[in-house]
Amino acid sequence: MLAASLFLFVLTLELKPNPLVPIGPGFYPRLVLGLTAVLAAALVAFDFFGKRKARTEDKANYSAVVLHFAVFGVYVVALPWLGFRIATLAYIAAANALFEPAKSAKGWLRVAAIAIIATVVVYFLFERYLSVLLPRGRWTDL
Amino acid sequence: MYELLADGLVNIVQAKYLLPLFLGTLAGIIGGALPGVTITMTIIVVLPFTFGLDPLQGLAAMTGVYVGGSAGGLVTAVLLGLPGTPSAIATTFDGHPMAKKGEPGRALWIGVWASFFGGLLGGLFLIGATDPLAKFALQFGPWEFFSLFMLALSMVAGLAEASLLKGLIAGAMGLIVTVLGNDPVMGQERLTLGIPFLRGGIDFLPVLIGVFAFAQIMGEIERRGAHSLATEVNRSVKLTVSHAKVIWEVLSRPFQLLWCSFIGVLIGVLPAIGGSAASMMAYDQAKKFSRRPEAFGTGTPEGIVASESSNNANVGGSLVTIMAFGIPGDAVTAVMLGALTIHGIQSGPLFISQNTQLAYGIFAAYLLAHPIMVLILALGARWMLRAVTVPKAALFPIVLVLCVIGAYALNNTMANVYVLLAFGVLGYLMVKFGFPLAPFILGVILGDQIEINLVRSIMTDSDPWLFLTRPISGALLGASALSMAFAFWQHRRMQRKTPAAIGGGTDF
Repeated sequence: MLAASLFLFVLTLELKPNPLVPIGPGFYPRLVLGLTAVLAAALVAFDFFGKRKARTEDKANYSAVVLHFAVFGVYVVALPWLGFRIATLAYIAAANALFEPAKSAKGWLRVAAIAIIATVVVYFLFERYLSVLLPRGRWTDL
Repeated sequence: MYELLADGLVNIVQAKYLLPLFLGTLAGIIGGALPGVTITMTIIVVLPFTFGLDPLQGLAAMTGVYVGGSAGGLVTAVLLGLPGTPSAIATTFDGHPMAKKGEPGRALWIGVWASFFGGLLGGLFLIGATDPLAKFALQFGPWEFFSLFMLALSMVAGLAEASLLKGLIAGAMGLIVTVLGNDPVMGQERLTLGIPFLRGGIDFLPVLIGVFAFAQIMGEIERRGAHSLATEVNRSVKLTVSHAKVIWEVLSRPFQLLWCSFIGVLIGVLPAIGGSAASMMAYDQAKKFSRRPEAFGTGTPEGIVASESSNNANVGGSLVTIMAFGIPGDAVTAVMLGALTIHGIQSGPLFISQNTQLAYGIFAAYLLAHPIMVLILALGARWMLRAVTVPKAALFPIVLVLCVIGAYALNNTMANVYVLLAFGVLGYLMVKFGFPLAPFILGVILGDQIEINLVRSIMTDSDPWLFLTRPISGALLGASALSMAFAFWQHRRMQRKTPAAIGGGTDF
């Protein structure tokens, strides 16, 4: 945070003043970024010189979190190429299957059914009834 | 005023408004009842459905979600001991013991009727106070608005979470988001880092959706693990009661009902201190004023009345802040603010005078959402328990798809979806590192307005002392300094008492 605010602060120095606004477009960003840098530096100092807290045992399932972020990231990247229908169908099926792996053929059928029904319902509801245009695929034109 | 409210009620009972209100209330109750799905997430999911509707239809649906969600949390809190929303935590203290003693119906319906009456009392405040407060705010110049926004931000940063410094940094981070892109006064390009999309600045809705949806869903996944996202429940409970008896049980405590609703309204008016703080504080107050404080926690109706009346009255208070000042009281009203912006409507002191029909339509929707909420729970409380068994592994991807639609449909551009993902990661990391989300979001929402009013005031008169010497502005800045001092003192005191006690959060 400290580095980012200092970097942006330096960039504000390049902003040219506007003749109509005496304080210019850089005044407020410099104020905010300067304040952030000071606060971030104070936090670093407190963390460095303050008492260290004993870490509690962490039983969080980070691998599941990273996995879901990754799957969602692939979905977001694929959306403009595959289009809403194909990308969403694949995403819901993949995310569902990764979180709760099916143990039988019936389970896999359920995963597929949820993905198909959810995609179809959402697509028709938004495109047909709520006039919301969803992304079309550059590769698929769907 | 009564004539306008009557017009609003006549308007809202038309099928085209009643249906979104009903569906919104139903969605709110289901979302509120589902542990791990808060009202915020429910309203984020409902948001894209409102894009194709007219403003009152969309806001009626959102008002329904807010009212329904505030009551829905009590179903699982009472019957399963699992609060569906943070605002129902205090309801579990007495609601669940009463249910376990063999009176689940009584426990549930005391909660429902207390929510109903508390909500209506909040509604009285909403209708009575919004217009005078908005008229008062019309006297404000840029100095006063700047100071008011600083007060809101400092209160949220100070009261929101454990570390005051982290609260302030989170608020400043929110302000940084708003300085990227063209400056809001003259439209001059700045800090775009060579990214064309940043020229228009970053919309706050994808930021809000990303931050809250991911922080919550990833938090759930992280806590429960990937393979245990379903819940088992017993659905064979009997919920039939004599409603006259239960209503009498609630109304026979008029002082408690009024006092707890007042606490709810007051907490609602303050930005970012939501229903959970209101219900806890009301519960504590009810216990202090009770003749039998020892009965609290064992299944006393007083505990349920206190918690539920305050958390529903809280909704009324939150709506006042956004309708009179344009400052969202919590994440739900922040999304409502976004919905207004999508329809080109500016919230703030002029909102009620420029959009009278819409404002009174929202009041009417708020009032009508309460009997609808009672009706839905009367017909389907048992079915709400079935909703709890919906596997989260299937639910969460669908929620995230709806978040994508919500972000994409704002301008029909993928850039907003990338913003959603980027801020989803940021929101999750902020929570992990102990940075509160409330000041961050408020910073994103108020950043442009803070800058506009600061620049306008300096352009009008370059004397910086005017911020302190103008009475209202000075008083607001004084209150801001006091709130920071109080927050500092409180954090120090808590640190001395018990470091582990610091934590909790807000409903923003």
